[in-house]
Amino acid sequence: MDEAGPGTAAGDVDAADKPVVLEVSHLTKIFDDSQIPGADGMGNRVIVDLSLQVRKNDFLCILGPSGCGKTTLLRCIGGFENFEGKIRINGIERRTPGTDRIMVFQDYNQLFPWKTVEKNIQYGLKLKGIRDKEELRRLSDHALETVGLSGYQKYYPHQLSGGMKQRVAIAKALALKPEIILMDEPFAALDAITRNTLQQELLRISADQDWDCTIIFITHNIQEAIVLGTRIMVMEKGGTIAVNEKNPIRRPVTPASEGYGAYWNKLHAALYRA
Amino acid sequence: MKKSFRESKSCDILVKVLFLVLVAIIWEITAKAHVFGERSEIVFPTIEAIGAAFVRNFTKGYAGTGLALYTLNSMNLLLRGLLIGIGLAFAFSGLSMISRTFSNVYNLCVTIFDLLPGVALLPVVIVIFGVKPGVIVFLVVHSVIWPMSRSVLDGFKAAPKIYVEAGKNLGLNGPGLLFGVYVPAAAAYIVSGLKVGWARAWRGLIAAEMVFGIASCPGIGLYINQMRTNMKNAEMYATLIVIIIIGLVVQYGILNPIEKMTVRRWGMVSAA
Ligand SMILES: Nc1ncnc2c1ncn2[C@@H]1O[C@H](COP(=O)(O)OP(=O)(O)OP(=O)(O)O)[C@@H](O)[C@H]1O
Ligand SMILES: [Mg+2]
Repeated sequence: MDEAGPGTAAGDVDAADKPVVLEVSHLTKIFDDSQIPGADGMGNRVIVDLSLQVRKNDFLCILGPSGCGKTTLLRCIGGFENFEGKIRINGIERRTPGTDRIMVFQDYNQLFPWKTVEKNIQYGLKLKGIRDKEELRRLSDHALETVGLSGYQKYYPHQLSGGMKQRVAIAKALALKPEIILMDEPFAALDAITRNTLQQELLRISADQDWDCTIIFITHNIQEAIVLGTRIMVMEKGGTIAVNEKNPIRRPVTPASEGYGAYWNKLHAALYRA
Repeated sequence: MKKSFRESKSCDILVKVLFLVLVAIIWEITAKAHVFGERSEIVFPTIEAIGAAFVRNFTKGYAGTGLALYTLNSMNLLLRGLLIGIGLAFAFSGLSMISRTFSNVYNLCVTIFDLLPGVALLPVVIVIFGVKPGVIVFLVVHSVIWPMSRSVLDGFKAAPKIYVEAGKNLGLNGPGLLFGVYVPAAAAYIVSGLKVGWARAWRGLIAAEMVFGIASCPGIGLYINQMRTNMKNAEMYATLIVIIIIGLVVQYGILNPIEKMTVRRWGMVSAA
């Protein structure tokens, strides 16, 4: 979908004054399939020549059919995969993981089970060189408060529900103040009610200037994308970008928002054509 | 809901205690009935006799040396061997994570040497190094290092990819990643390795002392042998009880608390 939607032009204008945080240029990711019986051995070309920019404070929601390479794209940005092309953060090329890009995985067993909630959050901060105990406590308390988990400092992850674990994972990411937070369907495994609550919280946090976040958020859910994203991208098989535009629906988005139905239908069509 | 007594912990303990009492009663009846005629007093000394021998072991001992000293000697060698063995197991397993070549060679060594009972190796070691307490330490190291390495290596291999990636995301690399993620992630395996390693080391130690008891450094194994040659069977049984008690103390006083403080506390599934 190359023609600009009604919201695109306006969106690009007011986003253009923000600096580019992430620049993906000519990204190509080919998985080796020589070990897979039946494959042609030419490699599974998951992403071919993808270019993408994410600006400061963008909340980019990526939609796409299963298997189109969304997770792969995020893992390349995170530095967890080898790839061809260039990925730059604030102009500096990155090929390996680092605390400037923090990943929130889909699997909610991503916290270290041997550390308490508080220590899980503080660990990355310690590794970044913060030694002062008071400072560490202040930072982790603040992050926990933001995700509504004050009082759970001393809990071990196995004592939390799935939704709470994802909140801690988000708090951990926030506390590190990365340039960009990479979220791969973080709410996909949660029930509808918890998912809704967490969406609202994430929306609030992402709009909070104190946290000053830039987020890429993968989802299968069109509604989630429209509610959360400031920008929306639809990926096709082969990693082609079908849609990449400013979210035209004004916040706060509800199904009753003006233009919601039409936009939902447009994304739905783009997804299913893809 | 209140659990019935049959399902309670106290019931479990009661069953175990009752079983031990039953065994003791049967033993005592067998002893008193002189089932083995002439030799009954030797084969089946009464519980009173064993109890008295237990005390005698520590007060009089053998040739002026009490069993406490023998035990201390054994524990000293054991502890040294365990520390060296566990340390080496971690060091080599860690190196295996860094170098593929080393990993191949070390895995082969673990497979080969794990099959070799320490006592079988002992004559060779003695031929080379002579009869010294160090030989027993060597044997303890041998008993603990291979099962421990197997567990640690398996634990590293089973470390969930998501923890490793989360660690890398925080900037961990090399040794930092090894100690920050792989080691705690392998906790369940390490604990089970400790249990197996300890049991092997303890048995290996006693066996080595019995076969090659060293008079210059007398241990529990040697003591049992001395009791046997002196036909002091009650003392012999009493020493077996000492060996069991030490095993229980280590199991319940050291290993179980370690497990409770790590794997259980963190809600990690225990490794088989
Ligand atoms: N480690 C891997 N080795 C080989 N092929 C892989 C690997 N990971 C992913 N792929 C392939 O890459 C393609 C895209 O996978 P990816 O997980 O990125 O899809 P996705 O868009 O995230 O799908 P979903 O929405 O179902 O999560 C798939 O065809 C998959 O088979
Ligand atoms: Mg995916």
